[in-house]
Amino acid sequence: MKRRNVFIGAGFIALLAALGVSQSVLEKKALAQGGSGISAPRFEVDPMWPKPLPNGWYIGQTIGVWADNQDHIWIIHRNDSLDPVEAAADQNPPTGECCKKAPPIIEFDQAGNVVHAWGGPGQGYDWPDSNHGIYADTKGFVWIGGNGGTDGLVLKFTRDGKFVKQFGKKGVKADSNATDHFFQVAKVFVDEKANEVYVADGYGNKRVVVMDADTGQFKRFWGAYGNKPDDKDLGRYNPTAPLAQQFRNPVHCADLSSDGFVYVCDRVNDRMQVFTKDGKFVKEQQYQKDSLGDGSVWDVAFSKDPQQKYLFMSDGRNSKIRIIDRQSLQEIYNFGEGGHYPGQFYSIHSIAIDSKGNLYTTETYQGRRVQKFVSKGIGSVPRKEMGVVWPTSTSR
Amino acid sequence: MKRISSVSVTVSALAVAGAFTLTAIGPTVFAQGRGAAPAYKVDPLWPQPLPNHWVFGSITGVAVDAQDHLWVVHRGGDSLEANEKGMMLTPPTSSVCCTAAPFVLEFDAAGKVVSSFGGPGQGYNWPQSPGSIAIDAKGNVWITAAGLVTPPPAAGGRGGAPAAPAGPADGQVLKFSKTGQFQLQIGKPGQSTGDDGLDKPAAVAVDSAANEVFIADTGHRRIAVFDSESGKFKRAWGAYGEKPGADPGAYDPNAPAARQFRDVTCIDIAKDGMVYVCDRTSNRIQVFQKDGKFVKEGIVSKNTLGAVVPGQFGAVSSFGSAWDVAFSNDAQQQYLFVADGQDKKVVILNRSTLAPVGTIGQGGRQPGRFLAVGSIAVDSKGNVYTGEQHHGKRVQKFIR
Repeated sequence: MKRRNVFIGAGFIALLAALGVSQSVLEKKALAQGGSGISAPRFEVDPMWPKPLPNGWYIGQTIGVWADNQDHIWIIHRNDSLDPVEAAADQNPPTGECCKKAPPIIEFDQAGNVVHAWGGPGQGYDWPDSNHGIYADTKGFVWIGGNGGTDGLVLKFTRDGKFVKQFGKKGVKADSNATDHFFQVAKVFVDEKANEVYVADGYGNKRVVVMDADTGQFKRFWGAYGNKPDDKDLGRYNPTAPLAQQFRNPVHCADLSSDGFVYVCDRVNDRMQVFTKDGKFVKEQQYQKDSLGDGSVWDVAFSKDPQQKYLFMSDGRNSKIRIIDRQSLQEIYNFGEGGHYPGQFYSIHSIAIDSKGNLYTTETYQGRRVQKFVSKGIGSVPRKEMGVVWPTSTSR
Repeated sequence: MKRISSVSVTVSALAVAGAFTLTAIGPTVFAQGRGAAPAYKVDPLWPQPLPNHWVFGSITGVAVDAQDHLWVVHRGGDSLEANEKGMMLTPPTSSVCCTAAPFVLEFDAAGKVVSSFGGPGQGYNWPQSPGSIAIDAKGNVWITAAGLVTPPPAAGGRGGAPAAPAGPADGQVLKFSKTGQFQLQIGKPGQSTGDDGLDKPAAVAVDSAANEVFIADTGHRRIAVFDSESGKFKRAWGAYGEKPGADPGAYDPNAPAARQFRDVTCIDIAKDGMVYVCDRTSNRIQVFQKDGKFVKEGIVSKNTLGAVVPGQFGAVSSFGSAWDVAFSNDAQQQYLFVADGQDKKVVILNRSTLAPVGTIGQGGRQPGRFLAVGSIAVDSKGNVYTGEQHHGKRVQKFIR
C-alpha cells in the first residue's frame, strides 16, 4: 500500500527508482527466509492435459481461455487458421486421414475430456471475422469478442451455444469515442454483481468500455491513465521514450479484481495499468520493457485466495508466465521458455485459473495448444527465472 | 523415474491380404500389445529443455548412433517465424526468448544435449535446407542438402506468394566427423548434371562394410550409390530398378502405379541387405537389393494426397504417407516403422509382408501427437524417435 502512492502519476525516472526500491525489499525478504527466499505460488505442467481431441479434431490459433464456476475450461480458437495440411481430412477430396477443424469453442472438464464444442456463423448474429477472447459467467452464459477486419461486437451465447444477444456490429472502423459499437474486441469480463461488462477494446480502438450486461448501453469508457481515448497513431513503441499517454493497440485485457480494480493489459507498451471501476487511474507497471514487436503484457488472471494476492500474467513475446505481487505490481518470479514441448510456449496468449488455483494457457500463431499448470501451493522458489516447470515427481 | 503416460498408440492386427491401406482406428485408446505389433507410449518429458533459449526449427532428420545417442538435424532460424526467434531479429524483440539451436544436435539417452555443430564453413556448401541425417559405423555424420520448396503460383494470398528460393539449388551430400569436422562433399549446389550430379537429395544411408553411400537423389528420381571414402559415383537406378526418367506428374490414387519415383525421401538398409526407399508422394515403399534389383513394394495409405502451403518461412510441402522408415531393434527387424507425415501418425508394417499391423499417434500439438512427422529412428532398446517438420518442430520419444 505504501508504494502505491509512489506509482500514481509517476514519471519514468520515478518509476525506475521505485522499481529499485521494491527489488531490494524483495531481496531482503528473500534473505530473511533463507535460500533464494522467494516464496510464491508454484506450478508444474501437466503434459498429458487435455486428452486427445475426439473426431480427429485439431485446433488453430487459440486466443482465449476461461475456467467457469464448475471448473470447466473453455477455449476459443480460430479454426480458419488451420492450413490445408493441418486440416487435410476437411479438404475435398480429403488429402489425409487427419485432421478436421474443431469447432471454435470447446468446453473441457477437469479431466481434459471435451464436454461440448460449438460456434461459428448462425442465424441472428454476426460471427466475428476473427474470434478473440472468451468468458463464461456463473449464470451459464458465454461471451466472446472479435478482432477481425471490421469486427465491432461482443456476442453472448448460452453455454450450449444458443445465441442470446449481440452487442455492437460489424462493418465499423476505429472510433475510440463511439458509444454504440466497439472495434476489434480482445477480451470480455463480466461483473455480475454490478451487471456490467468490461470490454478490452481492443485491437482497433484504444480504450476500456463498460457496458450494461443486459442492454449493452455504454456506461463509461476511458483510455490510458483514464484519459479521453484518442485514435492518433502513436507509432512504434520505444522503450527509451517517455511512456505513452494513450494505449497502443491492442488493449488486450480488462479484468476486474474482487476488490474492484480493473487490470488492463497495454500489450505493446509492455505495461499493465490499474484503474478503479469508474476509470480513475491508480498505478501502472512495465514488464520486460525491452520487449518490442507484439509486447509483453498479454493477459492476466487473479490468484484464488480471498485477497487475490497474486497476478498471473501471460507474456507472449518472451514465452513466460510472470507471477506478480498484486499490491506492489512487482514480479516475484517467472516460468516458461520458448518451444513446443510441455511447459514451453510459442506465443502464449491467454491465461485463466480454476478454483483449485490451476492455471490454463493457450497459444496463438503456430503454438496452437491449451496447457494446464497444476498448482503446487505456496512454497520456496529457487530462482527468479524458473524456465520450464516439469513435474518434480519425474526427477531424472 | 520417468512418468510415462499412455497415449496415442493403436494396435490392430489387421492382416488384410493384398490391401495395405490402414483404416483410421478410433481416437487413441491404447491397446496393450494386442495383435502382433509392439506397443508404444510417448515420453512427454523427452528431451530435456534445450539450453541457451534454443528452439528447434523444422526438423528434417533423426538418427541413432552406436551409443544410442540421438542425432537431430533441423533447418534452424531460416524456418522460424519472427515471433519465435525474437533474439535473432534486428533489433531483437526479446532479450530472453528465443534463438535457433545449432543445426546438428546430439542427445544422450537421458535427452541431454551433449554436442552440437553445423552451419556454413570452409570447404563445403551448407544446405539451403538439410534433409536426412545418418551416422555410419565409424561415427561419421552424413547430412543431405534437400533444398527448399518452390511455392506454386497459386500459393498467393495475403502478402502474395512467398518468393522462390534464391541461389543455386541444393545438390550435395556432406560428411562430417562426429565432432563436426568436414570430411567429404558429394555433389555441388546448382550442378546437377551427369551421373555424379545430385538434385535436392533428401536422404542418405551408409553401407560401411562396403564403403558405399546410398543417396535418395530426389530431383533425379533415382537412388545413386557412391564410394563413401572417395565420393566416386558407382551406380544408380529408378523405381522398379528401371532407368530413371521423366516426372510422372501428380499422384492419382486411381491411376496405375507410376513407373518412376515422384519424390524419394528415405533410404535405409536392413541387416539382411535389403534397401528400403520411400516414394513419398506415391504413398509407397519400394524394396531393392543393394545392386538395384527391385524386390517388392507396399502401399502405406493409398488415398493420401497433400498440399503446398505458403508460410512465413517459405512454402511448405506435405504430400503422401511414406516420408521415412526405421527398422525394429530385434535381430530379424520384424517391423518397419513409417513416418506418415500427411496423415500425422507412424504406421507399423510387418517388414516381410509390408502389411500394416499398428499405428502410433494422431494429429495435434500435444505430446504423442504429430504435425508433419517426417523422420524416424529406433535405438537398440527399441525406443522410437520421431522428428516433425514445418510447424511441428519437435523430436519425440516413444517407449516400448
